[in-house]
Amino acid sequence: MLKLEKVSKTYRTTEVETRALSEVSMEIAPGEFVAIMGPSGCGKSTLLNVLGLLDSPTSGAYGFFGEDVARLPEARLTALRRDRIGFVFQSFNLIDDLSVAENVEVGLLYRGGPGGQRRKRVEEALQRVGMAHRARHKPQQLSGGQQQRVAVARALVSRPSLILADEPTGNLDTANGEAVMALLRDACAAGVTVVMVTHSLVHAAEAQRTIKLLDGRVVSETLLAA
Amino acid sequence: MFRNYLSAALRNLERNSLYAGVTIFGLAVGFAAALLIALYVRGELTYDRFIPGHDRVYVYSERIEYPGERPVLTDSSSVRVGPALKAEFPQIQYAARLTGKDLPATVKRGDFTASESNLTWADPDFFRVMPLPVVAGDLASALDEPDGLVITRAIARKYFGRDAPIGQSLLINGAPMKVTAVIQDLPPTTHLIFDMYGSTRAPQSPMPGLEKRDTPQNLVVITYVRLQPGASAAGVDMGGFVRRHFSPEQLGEASSRTRITAYLVPLTQIHLRPDIQGAYTGTDPAVLAGVGAVGVLIVLVAAINFVTLMTARATRRAVEVGVRKAAGATRRDLIAQFMGEALIHVAMAGLIAAALAELVLPGFNILVGRKIVIDYGDPILFAALPALVLAVGLAAGAYPALVLSNFRPAIVLKGGLAPSGGSALVRQMLVVVQFAVLIGLILFATTITRQTLFAINQGMRLDKNQVLLVLAKPCTDDLRDAMAAVGGVEKAACASAQALNLSVIGTKATVAGRDVGVYTGPVDYDFFGVYNIAPLAGRLFDHNRPADGYAAGAPSNPPLVINETARHKLGFANDQAAIGKTVTWPFHTDLDSAFGKDPAKPSQIIGVVPDFTFGSMREPILPMLFMVGPKVSYYSLALNLRLDRNHIPRALAGIDQVWRRFEPGDPIQRFFVTEFALHAYIDTLREAGLIVAAALVALFIAALGLFALSAYTTERRTKEIGVRKAMGAGTSAVLRLLIWQFSQPVLWANLLAWPVAFLVMNWWLHGFAYHVDQAPWVFVAAGAAALIVAWATVFIHALRVARAKPVGALRYE
Repeated sequence: MLKLEKVSKTYRTTEVETRALSEVSMEIAPGEFVAIMGPSGCGKSTLLNVLGLLDSPTSGAYGFFGEDVARLPEARLTALRRDRIGFVFQSFNLIDDLSVAENVEVGLLYRGGPGGQRRKRVEEALQRVGMAHRARHKPQQLSGGQQQRVAVARALVSRPSLILADEPTGNLDTANGEAVMALLRDACAAGVTVVMVTHSLVHAAEAQRTIKLLDGRVVSETLLAA
Repeated sequence: MFRNYLSAALRNLERNSLYAGVTIFGLAVGFAAALLIALYVRGELTYDRFIPGHDRVYVYSERIEYPGERPVLTDSSSVRVGPALKAEFPQIQYAARLTGKDLPATVKRGDFTASESNLTWADPDFFRVMPLPVVAGDLASALDEPDGLVITRAIARKYFGRDAPIGQSLLINGAPMKVTAVIQDLPPTTHLIFDMYGSTRAPQSPMPGLEKRDTPQNLVVITYVRLQPGASAAGVDMGGFVRRHFSPEQLGEASSRTRITAYLVPLTQIHLRPDIQGAYTGTDPAVLAGVGAVGVLIVLVAAINFVTLMTARATRRAVEVGVRKAAGATRRDLIAQFMGEALIHVAMAGLIAAALAELVLPGFNILVGRKIVIDYGDPILFAALPALVLAVGLAAGAYPALVLSNFRPAIVLKGGLAPSGGSALVRQMLVVVQFAVLIGLILFATTITRQTLFAINQGMRLDKNQVLLVLAKPCTDDLRDAMAAVGGVEKAACASAQALNLSVIGTKATVAGRDVGVYTGPVDYDFFGVYNIAPLAGRLFDHNRPADGYAAGAPSNPPLVINETARHKLGFANDQAAIGKTVTWPFHTDLDSAFGKDPAKPSQIIGVVPDFTFGSMREPILPMLFMVGPKVSYYSLALNLRLDRNHIPRALAGIDQVWRRFEPGDPIQRFFVTEFALHAYIDTLREAGLIVAAALVALFIAALGLFALSAYTTERRTKEIGVRKAMGAGTSAVLRLLIWQFSQPVLWANLLAWPVAFLVMNWWLHGFAYHVDQAPWVFVAAGAAALIVAWATVFIHALRVARAKPVGALRYE
């Protein structure tokens, strides 16, 4: 279970102080599919970064599957990311210099383990997203939709407890967007917690719950599928 | 995991082939230059180490301090020193003398005659002191017989066509000598430049004559000793050695004021003492250190390229860093990855460098006048190159690795703010350092070139163009007159070795009751005419005045023409004041007796000439007394011929013809004074050549780096430029903006380079008694040159970006 209690995140420059998150509290149950919505600059991405342990809150508490992670050292956060979290980004963020299979392998790379086993899991993950036939291609040789499917495979390959998706369909056409949503739904059905930032009402409707943010605060929660 | 890193590294290299190529090639050029310099420096530092037991071999040296003059170090000694050392010190196992490089000898076998310039005469124990690698014969006893002759394999092949002509004869200057041993051709790293060693017991050896004329001041041989096994040089007490073996009379009246300190110099140090006068001129360790420093600077420039380009390109790797971090990579994982990548780049550079070094080695050897080889079996080389690769890889890889691994994934993955690769200030500072090194090297190169040209051209202060020297023992009036009659010969005069600064004879001159140390240089009537030297006061020697010539047994010495330094030293207020004054001095004309036995007689000063020298600019010009001397070989060594520049080939043919008439058996030994000057400056020329070459290499590497860096930064500013153009900026305004960006580091670099270069060049120039001054224009020109290089390299990119349509730039992501 993910539990945020009065989490605030403030960015300071020499002149300006920006409050990206303001005393946000929420709970996300294991296996839940949550959509986060809100206008640009409302703090969606900051929230996702905090949830994904890429950023630490300025104040407040964050329980990550029972562990208080708000003040953990970077090394421990890295280990948690490695073992429990998968990321999907709007701009795919595949490494241009690596092949499709190698990109997916990056999700497993830092856990150690034998190379043979790793390759097997990469192959499984690619089959799951329907990209096994493109394993040797380079990201630039793929369409946007295909790239995002590879990115989802990369997030799934480590069998994470949590997938964080930052506008995963934002750069995709309807058909490709739908395909990626299906993959996320499947993951959720398999027990993975999915938190997705989106601008699309249609895709948000596929989540079990939608949290709306405005100016760094939670303004409403809608339970859809319950 | 390693495979994944390797893929990323290799494909990154492939995709950024321009940057990677520039980085790697620049580094390779730097490594190659450093490798060659290192081999050169190492060679200079390991002279004579191939000689077995070299740690027990020493050369006798003296430090002579005349009151009020700078001390003279010499490795030449009196002939009696060798036997005296052996007799006095039980620690000395063998002592042996070498007469040093003699004048070229005529060597004949059957009908084959040639001139050999590397002949010397050695004591029988010489090869017991120096057990050189032998091809045939019993080297230790080879010089025991009076006609014993030891030659190198090359000489054996030249005269006999085989390696071991033991017992065969050669005619050396007409006298037969028997080959008793053949030694191997010595490696280039030895101060022993000889390839023929005759026994000093031979009747034609100069040793008996030298022994007869021995005085403490007559420093004519080189004395080597080999210590007993286990003995140390510290145990050989040289204090008072000179006083024990020379009487106060022999040391002369000046002895109470002159301090002579004797000491033993290890064989392996002989090559590293440039301040020594005498038989052998070595390399200056300070210059060697300078050359080594240049090597380090070149690697630094190349490594800076590496760092700036790696960090500049870092933005492109930002996503990769973000993804890897999000996937759980620790900072250490990423540092390992990027350091590994740096090592791959540097290792590739190392391989290319080895190939490059092989490629340019022949040219480099010509440049430094050595025969360096790259020996891959050499364990030090084998370890040094990988060590260098590792050190540079780690040092240059560290900063980019730290910068890249520090990217915050939350920021880079959003694809929003592209992080700049490390501090732009650090990168800017590195470029400043790089250009400072470059400007410094340009300054060194220019100053060294100016000094060398000065030394070769104006430094001698005489008109030596088209003057031919013909070695003759002796140069007689008949020979001179016959040569003067040859078509194309304008003027002819004999001169002594002393007048040509090939040797020195110091003497005491008395003027108005005051003793002054001066040097004598016997010449011929028209010697000054040949070199177009006009008197500052008085007149020159005149054929038509019988009193100007030398007359044996006359009550007075011949009249004198003195140089400015002598005029000053003799105490005359100005040139005119010296004319007509009387100087009393002993003319050593009884060549069978020792120096110091000749009576002092008066001479009149008839003229003062400007200072000039045939010797090195490193030495001050001596106070010289010139007089017309007797035409004996001791005082009439060479014929000086001024040729008509329009008829040089005809003149040379005529000269050779006359020579054959006078000396039918001997090949002519002739060379132009300009070649002679070049020879005196060969070490300075090599230093200059090395530094100029190094500066060019550094220039190339820096330009390469700036080219890639500018390509990158202009690309990075594409969006900004698009905005500026959309707002109405013209091409020229954008061009100025970009060019200015790259001009700033160069301008800062000048501030850094100028003072350092000024101090270093000041130090270097003060090693010369006569030198050029540092000129401000050189500094400005070096800065301008660096600026022009910077402009030239960035101009293409800047122009391309500046001319692009703004819409394209704005769409660029």
